[in-house]
Amino acid sequence: MTYAYLFKYIIIGDTGVGKSCLLLQFTDKRFQPVHDLTIGVEFGARMVNIDGKQIKLQIWDTAGQESFRSITRSYYRGAAGALLVYDITRRETFNHLTSWLEDARQHSSSNMVIMLIGNKSDLESRRDVKREEGEAFAREHGLIFMETSAKTACNVEEAFINTAKEIYRKIQQGLFDVHNEANGIKIGPQQSISTSLGPSASQQNCRDLGSDAGCC
Amino acid sequence: MLTRVKSAVANFMGGIMAGSSGSEHGGGGCGGSDLPLRFPYGRPEFLGLSQDEVECSADHIARPILILKETRRLPWATGYAEVINAGKSTHNEDQASCEVLTVKKKAGAITSTPNRNSKRRSSLPNGEGLQLKENSESEGVSCHYWSLFDGHAGSGAAVVASRLLQHHVTEQLQDIVEILKNSAVLPPTCLGEEPENTPANSRTLTRAASLRGGVGAPGSPSTPPTRFFTEKKIPHECLVIGALESAFKEMDLQIERERSSYNISGGCTALIVVCLLGKLYVANAGDSRAIIIRNGEIIPMSSEFTPETERQRLQYLAFMQPHLLGNEFTHLEFPRRVQRKELGKKMLYRDFNMTGWAYKTIEDDDLKFPLIYGEGKKARVMATIGVTRGLGDHDLKVHDSNIYIKPFLSSAPEVRVYDLSKYEHGADDVLILATDGLWDVLSNEEVAEAITQFLPNCDPDDPHRYTLAAQDLVMRARGVLKDRGWRISNDRLGSGDDISVYVIPLIHGNKLS
Repeated sequence: MTYAYLFKYIIIGDTGVGKSCLLLQFTDKRFQPVHDLTIGVEFGARMVNIDGKQIKLQIWDTAGQESFRSITRSYYRGAAGALLVYDITRRETFNHLTSWLEDARQHSSSNMVIMLIGNKSDLESRRDVKREEGEAFAREHGLIFMETSAKTACNVEEAFINTAKEIYRKIQQGLFDVHNEANGIKIGPQQSISTSLGPSASQQNCRDLGSDAGCC
Repeated sequence: MLTRVKSAVANFMGGIMAGSSGSEHGGGGCGGSDLPLRFPYGRPEFLGLSQDEVECSADHIARPILILKETRRLPWATGYAEVINAGKSTHNEDQASCEVLTVKKKAGAITSTPNRNSKRRSSLPNGEGLQLKENSESEGVSCHYWSLFDGHAGSGAAVVASRLLQHHVTEQLQDIVEILKNSAVLPPTCLGEEPENTPANSRTLTRAASLRGGVGAPGSPSTPPTRFFTEKKIPHECLVIGALESAFKEMDLQIERERSSYNISGGCTALIVVCLLGKLYVANAGDSRAIIIRNGEIIPMSSEFTPETERQRLQYLAFMQPHLLGNEFTHLEFPRRVQRKELGKKMLYRDFNMTGWAYKTIEDDDLKFPLIYGEGKKARVMATIGVTRGLGDHDLKVHDSNIYIKPFLSSAPEVRVYDLSKYEHGADDVLILATDGLWDVLSNEEVAEAITQFLPNCDPDDPHRYTLAAQDLVMRARGVLKDRGWRISNDRLGSGDDISVYVIPLIHGNKLS
């Protein structure tokens, strides 16, 4: 399928916060309650529509365990976007954000767009990290922020698409050199974009993505 | 379809033997790019990657290490990991496959008499035994197969070999499976004759025994038969070695004939392991490597075939058939290029029959480019290729010339045998197979040290432990990206090549014996 741009994403965060589940929900629209531990890197891909342009998201889902940190570090290189995920029911996953962020900033291109995600918003009764804390952390470090639920699919679509919008905005502002693949962006094979039959993502995109209040 | 090309192959084989890589063969390969692929490019089937995942994996910047997914298992809980090169080719030109083959006597095949006769012959104690024999005959033998290919000048040959070599192995083994199962009796020298009655452990086989047929009747084997002439005794494992050698040759011939109807680009090295009836057979053609790490000790299971290790074979071929050099190359080796102004002087050289060096007077012919030139990883045959055994490469020529390289390349593997029953293997005893991407930067000792550090720290029941060990090895060889490239321990350069690694636990071999 043709696309105007390809964006590379990386999903990072502690083990068990739901990185693989977010990816599965986004690419396959399903939730798998018991997910094997990711022990290396896994990939997903989906087409989305931003401003009438087909954009292919290529998503790298990484192992969260500390022992794989040295392996996953090399995967930041060439990523245009990162989803930094914590679990709102486990405070330690929130406490580790600084260390993840340091890794990300150190090993990625400076323009990488980082989306902070507080996952498992369906487990409100077990909440351990307030939404305001997530918002404050994001503000302080210049990240976009959303709470999501990979289980109910709430905001999952939005998290991926809003990140893409931000990257696309940076491209239009000339902040990204789209000809340098080390920035995680590739120009699609020649294409006229307008004619494509929009996949489901394009309709989703018509919704107002500005508010993430909706279901969470 | 097959028969149509068969005669062409026969002609070509004659051509190779006569050393004429003549122009009539050039046409077939040249139009290659217009032809369809034999198989689409992909990663090893056992990784189960979608097209999107294959695309993601081909990232020369971040170089993701691919491993077996959690949901997938290879026989013997084999571990596997791979990584793409740092940009030298678009595709990862390594390929691999792993499966359990069932080797059954071909339906309708001519039955070799030995088995029939072995029943009559009564080396078996009673009728029950005979019955068992009958059943196992129809069941076939299962055989584990691992393969690793390292492609060059395109991924075509490696992809084809990773899909098809196992079928050639199966086919070759089918012809001898009944003989192999009958391990109590040495393989018959000539099929269809009355069998030898000498038990496998006896000293010599004699023609007389077979001529007299009845000698093997109960009670008589101890009677030494009259010997007319001696006959080599060929153990069973040599038939397996022969089968693997034939399989490599057949695979190469298939690539050779199919390139007229398909685009099969480049060539590849091939390293395979076959586990059959309690023994491991490691067959290698090229510069990949296999080692066993047993109780911390290293047992090399292959040797590499490169212009340096095969210098004398190549020089001898060029000496015998100088036209293969196209009047452009000299088969002699000099420590450096000879300069025109040195004509008439004496310089060190060596010929095909020498491992040491001697002086010779420089003549005009010595000014030609040497058949083998360069040192270590940079050594090349006719300035073109750095590996001297493998599959494919039928259309490879010296740059800007009509000189074919293929006559110098051999598809013949070296086969080594390892008897699994001779040792009680532990969970950390493994066979490592890897392409040169690993071995270029890590020594056997470093690999063994990494494995002996890594495995004991893994839960012995973790089904992923061998894949994690493979991932660890790939990581050590690829290294991490620092400003100026990939670095490994001690700030050495990491490998920018494709790297593929199997870690095969041998503990599963214990059950076989």
